[in-house]
Amino acid sequence: MQLFGILIPEKQKLISTVQDIAKGKAGLSLYASLLGLAIGFYAIAAIFIQGHAHTINTSNLVPWGLQISTYVYFALLSTGCTFVNFFGHVFFEKEYKPFASRIIFVGIVTAVAAFFSLATEMGHVERMFYFLLSPNPKSPMFWMAIWYTCYVIAITWEYINIQTNKHSNRVMWGAFFIAIFTHSTLGSLLGSVSSRVYYYSALMPIYFLFIAFLTGCSLTTIIAGVTVKQKKLDEDYHLAPFVKLLKIGLGLALLISFWRTMIGLSAHFEGSEVFSLTLINSVLFGIVVVIIIPYILLKIGKSANWLIFVGLFIMGTQLKARNDLVVGAFKIPVFRVYDMPEVVHYIPSIYENLVVVASASLVAVLYIVFERSGVFDIRNTKGEH
Amino acid sequence: MEHVDDKDILEIMQADLQRALKKPRKDRHWAMAIDQKKCIGCHACTTGCMSENLTPPDIHYRPVKEDEIGEFPNTSMRFLPRPCFQCDSPTCTPVCPVTATYKRDDGLVMIDYKKCIGCRYCIVACPYGARSADVGHYFSGDFHDKTYEVENSGEYGKNFKRKSHWHSPIGNARKCHFCIHRVEKGELTRCTTTCLGHATYFGDINDPQALITKLIAKPNVIRYKEELGTKPNVYYIL
Repeated sequence: MQLFGILIPEKQKLISTVQDIAKGKAGLSLYASLLGLAIGFYAIAAIFIQGHAHTINTSNLVPWGLQISTYVYFALLSTGCTFVNFFGHVFFEKEYKPFASRIIFVGIVTAVAAFFSLATEMGHVERMFYFLLSPNPKSPMFWMAIWYTCYVIAITWEYINIQTNKHSNRVMWGAFFIAIFTHSTLGSLLGSVSSRVYYYSALMPIYFLFIAFLTGCSLTTIIAGVTVKQKKLDEDYHLAPFVKLLKIGLGLALLISFWRTMIGLSAHFEGSEVFSLTLINSVLFGIVVVIIIPYILLKIGKSANWLIFVGLFIMGTQLKARNDLVVGAFKIPVFRVYDMPEVVHYIPSIYENLVVVASASLVAVLYIVFERSGVFDIRNTKGEH
Repeated sequence: MEHVDDKDILEIMQADLQRALKKPRKDRHWAMAIDQKKCIGCHACTTGCMSENLTPPDIHYRPVKEDEIGEFPNTSMRFLPRPCFQCDSPTCTPVCPVTATYKRDDGLVMIDYKKCIGCRYCIVACPYGARSADVGHYFSGDFHDKTYEVENSGEYGKNFKRKSHWHSPIGNARKCHFCIHRVEKGELTRCTTTCLGHATYFGDINDPQALITKLIAKPNVIRYKEELGTKPNVYYIL
């Protein structure tokens, strides 16, 4: 199998990209991404060198913070890309064809970026080999690791098939179902924690899948919008499937967010007051800003530029929504003692914020470098339109 | 000094402990009982525990919850010391992806500091807030200034020094372990010995003659959040 020029850029193209960067001809987006990557990597290095005590704001009261939220966010983005790849191939084959390799590639790099963020949150990431030496099959986190590995292998296989023009329906279906298993397991990781009422719900695995679909649709809409503009493709024809998928994603997100909030409000367990405490945010932000406004925006316009804006809007709001979900469970302490506040507030440190920048920049740099090298265009990307 | 049948209760529990240690480990079942009427809220157990286990800032294996009951002038204070409950059906052990935390055959929930990856899932899962993340804070700021804080605490009978964030227990989950490093040497837990009101009882509840076994058999005994089904091994005497 040919590696350079098919799966990864040709050496010559990579060298010319580096030369363009040195000459100042690489374009604003690549420079911005490289800057973000450099600053982000500095923050990650600081976290590992200085330790958590000096760099992150998580605590006993908020054991999981922005880095876990970022992990969840990027993992769901990756799942969403796999979902869109599946539905694109099944229902919109011709319209979807120019974007297939780009979308599944972004699915792979977002999965890697997710792990970047997760690694910075672990107290001893160097001991991850114990997942193999001393596994605990009772733990949802163990199964998430197993499925996550299978998932990355499956979508990489799908990418190879797309790039080598040997697309296999079996691999595509396999990747789709493995994505469902993987990311519903991630949902179960939170949903099975009975001590945190904010998490504990059978809805959580389904919630994760629906939100993954929405966030994946928003990212793939951006990719499609940019590609349509760059390759001068027919906007109406190629972007219509993404608008449909986005609307479905918004509908699913509305359904699951509404019922999760309503069922949470009816709970009478210790700590369930967190649902009423966060009700205004859940409704105004979690439903109106995250779901209703994007739907209205979608009704206003269908141009590539507008859809890129809508995609960015959804992605930005979803990052906050994921943080609200992960951190929300810690608002009410399970055992309040000494000077612990009634309601716990958590503000991420600058280093934690920069981990988000690092993960996003990693995805952007890899995508832009691959795009510039033309590796995604080896298939017939012109389509019929 | 409180006495039962003219004997000091610490001496009774010490004798109970010696008797328990003569049995194979699997035949013991360590438990604790706390008499809420006798707890005066002095926090001697908390500070004793901190000095025994050299815990860093914000990590308390045995905090004491203080509640004010009633309205002035008819008010009183209620104190609830909270060690790890060493649950027989713990929520923390099943979630650990690498079995770094596990239930031992003598009833203790242990943490293998060398294996813990610091994912904090167990901290999230514990309904009692009994677990803490050691992220590497020191009371003295820069650890080079204070050798006390980097000394080996002897937890779990091992040699763990908090030398840097690469060295366990920094980066790990931490919790009360019923001072197992003391108990296996024939000493009572630090909180039991420092309790001014003699409100804390410790022993082997598999021993029908042990003081704690007799105490928890009484009807005025409850377990915290018992409805969760975690089967805690800490009993509160009302």
